[in-house]
Amino acid sequence: MKLALFLLAAALPAAAQQADAGTQDDLQKELEKAIRAGSTATPAQGDKAPSAPPEATPGSSGSAPQTLLRGAQSLNPDLSVIVDSVFGYERRAPQFLSGDDPDLGAQGTSHALGFMVQEVELAFSAIVDPYFKGEVYLTIPNLSGLEVEEAFATTTSLPWNLQVKAGSFRSAFGRQNGQHLHLQDFTRRPLINAAFLGADGMRGPGAQVSWLAPLPFFLTLAGEAFSLRSAPADESQVQPLPVASFGADASTRPTLAVEAKAFFPISEAWSLTSGLSFASGRSPGLLLFDGTPAGAGRDSQLYGVDVYLKWKPANVSLGYESLAFQAEAILRHLDSGDGIVGEWDGGGYAQVVAQFARRWFLGVRGDIVGVPSSSVLARTGRLGASLTFQASEFARLRAYLDAERASGTSGLLPQAQPQWAPAAFLQLEYSMGAHGAHPY
Amino acid sequence: MARIPTEFRALAEVEIHMIALLAVLHVVSSIPTLGSLAKEVGGARIEVESLAKGYQDPHFVEAKPSLMLVLNRADLLLHVGLELEIGWLPPLVLGSRNPKIQPGELGNLDCSRSIPVLDVPTTKLDRSMGDIHPQGNPHYWLPPANAKIIAREIAERLQELDPDGRAEYGKNLAAFNKRVDAKTREWAPMTVKLKGVKVATYHKSWSYVSQWLGLQEVGYVEPKPGIPPDPQHLARLITVMKQEGAKLLMMENFYNKSVATLVAEKAGAKLITLPTDVGATPEIKDWFSLVETVLKALSSSV
Repeated sequence: MKLALFLLAAALPAAAQQADAGTQDDLQKELEKAIRAGSTATPAQGDKAPSAPPEATPGSSGSAPQTLLRGAQSLNPDLSVIVDSVFGYERRAPQFLSGDDPDLGAQGTSHALGFMVQEVELAFSAIVDPYFKGEVYLTIPNLSGLEVEEAFATTTSLPWNLQVKAGSFRSAFGRQNGQHLHLQDFTRRPLINAAFLGADGMRGPGAQVSWLAPLPFFLTLAGEAFSLRSAPADESQVQPLPVASFGADASTRPTLAVEAKAFFPISEAWSLTSGLSFASGRSPGLLLFDGTPAGAGRDSQLYGVDVYLKWKPANVSLGYESLAFQAEAILRHLDSGDGIVGEWDGGGYAQVVAQFARRWFLGVRGDIVGVPSSSVLARTGRLGASLTFQASEFARLRAYLDAERASGTSGLLPQAQPQWAPAAFLQLEYSMGAHGAHPY
Repeated sequence: MARIPTEFRALAEVEIHMIALLAVLHVVSSIPTLGSLAKEVGGARIEVESLAKGYQDPHFVEAKPSLMLVLNRADLLLHVGLELEIGWLPPLVLGSRNPKIQPGELGNLDCSRSIPVLDVPTTKLDRSMGDIHPQGNPHYWLPPANAKIIAREIAERLQELDPDGRAEYGKNLAAFNKRVDAKTREWAPMTVKLKGVKVATYHKSWSYVSQWLGLQEVGYVEPKPGIPPDPQHLARLITVMKQEGAKLLMMENFYNKSVATLVAEKAGAKLITLPTDVGATPEIKDWFSLVETVLKALSSSV
């Protein structure tokens, strides 16, 4: 309710911006004052916020017959279901398994071959009222139970180029972290996702304030706070998770993040998006093979940089070719604590995806983590390739191959065996229901 | 009102970047034709900018963040509606952080709201029918009757947003309507010639033009909207075109010609690539030159 009141108060000056100039301003101020006085005097002001006249009145031209032709109106949210199913092989359990990576259940050093439904996603979205848009994304990764991937509201009417997002959502840290599985060009997420941002990426209950800078080019700044919860990585498990960067102190201190994103339209076909990100929290550390904890409660900071360079002609009259280069790098600092000295580790990936025919995309990606390596992160590299056939806007088939190499060791973790771990997947991705928009 | 000399403008900027020194309202249109129609009724009281270019497929515009900046400054957003821009416009509007143009606000005008919509599905829909528009065909802005409806809707909205300009908008609208009527009479020799002509089209986007001109559509290169053709479908289309004596294959100039060229050749028809938007070519600067270009291309081919 407090938020609603704040937004109500904030929305009024925004509406006031519609004033043209001069004498209008005085009138606006007077009206604004009157409305404000009215709203504080009314007990139920949160539910009855004043708003601009709705557009839903029938066409002023008296075109009533139209309305019947337009089909049944519904105020239900837009609903879509997105399914990713795979058939695949992996030589051993992957070291950096993201939550929505296909999990064939390889145990330790044994191989796996078989089918999996990588993800079922249920997406709901609707405009809530003149002040909010709501979105809910439920996910069932690897048939293992329903999770809330995101559930948040975004403001639509704040003044001063501000926007607030609140609920549970994916952080704007870097580029791939904010994207759902079906926006990825590869079957597996990059290694840096699980290695630094968390198995499910950096997501959780929190709030974000973002600001669009009034500049000649696109620049947004965002600040975020999350209550992330992570358990120590249990090394006695057959499939140990990487040490989490954040989430040791959910109940006492939120994990904080800030991001800057800029966009440069170099030419009509070429464009460059780039971002800088920073996040700060506390690592839960790990449990060693004998069950003793190590590195718990160390403060950790992530520094990220990302670029996305795209070439796509304005239309397809000369062909269907397009090209996109994307790269991200993350450096992490773990402060000294629990008997371990302060240390840096990091990693990154670079990928190129080329559309070479109307329905065909070829992608290549190189991944590395453990550059530099630390006591809790050994060096691992991976090379992957994907070939995607887009049957329609709503379905695609993908062949994906990769080979991971665990090349280094770290102070607290053993080297994965066998060192070389190839994997291959055939993936079918399809969506039903409302036509989603394509984010840039 | 001052105009930047053409030679200083990049080709891409060509359609409707008119700088109006007296401009009161900043109008942004999803496609250039809507902006051009707004300029007809808004005159010097508005300045107009378009998100898409006239030579782009309005279904598939890249949602570049720079377009959010354009929307951020808008007082009024004009869009085609009927889900034409569903793949790219909603995230731009949300990301624009502009309260004035959010759905439901005065600054957000769905220009289809008074259009007599064609191709509204009459049976249960599913996507086996392709990438269909559940609310009907959104390619409605070429026929004069519809241009007048759009202009009227825009004028009414401008009058609401800028009451000081009521009289001027009304005057401009009347002048526009008069000019449309005059042009329609001038075009009559061309339109008469096209009545009953059998055509095939690439995408099912010419329904309104066909209805206006009395063209008979015998088939489509796309088997279903948005679905690339397969050989069997093309073979059937060629047979039908031959049987029906369809001598024209109409296609928007932003599509790829390769398949359509082959179909036209095999069917003994002529492929005409047509503009559908202001700015599709540098010469097409407003709705009048757009429609005239289409009519000339068609009538000179029959």
